[in-house]
Amino acid sequence: MYSQTGNAFMQDEDLLNIILADLKRTVGEYTTATTESACPSVRRTFNDLTMDTLRLHGELFTQMSQLNMYQAPSKALRQELDKEIQNAHQTQQKSQQFVQQKTGGQGAYAQAPNVSQHQANVQNPYYM
Amino acid sequence: MQSTQTQPLSSKELEYISDSISNEDLLIKQYAATAGTTQNQTVRQICEQQIQNHSHHMGALIQLLQQHQQYAPTQPQ
Repeated sequence: MYSQTGNAFMQDEDLLNIILADLKRTVGEYTTATTESACPSVRRTFNDLTMDTLRLHGELFTQMSQLNMYQAPSKALRQELDKEIQNAHQTQQKSQQFVQQKTGGQGAYAQAPNVSQHQANVQNPYYM
Repeated sequence: MQSTQTQPLSSKELEYISDSISNEDLLIKQYAATAGTTQNQTVRQICEQQIQNHSHHMGALIQLLQQHQQYAPTQPQ
């Protein structure tokens, strides 16, 4: 028991960050294992372990945040977000056109899109 | 129900299970090492709880191997 000496070989924060990174890697490996399993019971187990490890990762992240052990990355700027939304709308539009060309308007996109009525972004002050 | 769903493990599946057991083992040991060195009671509690969770994962993986033992061919096919 050397826990009371104060000579911890690494700070709690560093140790938990290493574990958090390892949990992230483990979730990725469980996901890959799930997609590559042929036996239904193996796939089900890997699927369950993926979901549970994801939950545990979120749990540790929240606990570390509460202990002020996690430095959140800087916030994305509004103008970056606006630009991304514009790009996404263009991508969505081209994607819909492509599908209509290939399917003669019979595909899922033939129905009226339910997200294209987004007007606020086109009138934003940064890009007009 | 179990028997209709269970097929022999492929070598790939076996490798994933083996790697996963190593991952769980590493996580358990890291939490134990952290619990052993921390002076923060909250951190210790978090680690102890997580050791339980990952021990359950390891148990599930070992169980998966055992469930497939009887289906494994004894000679290369």
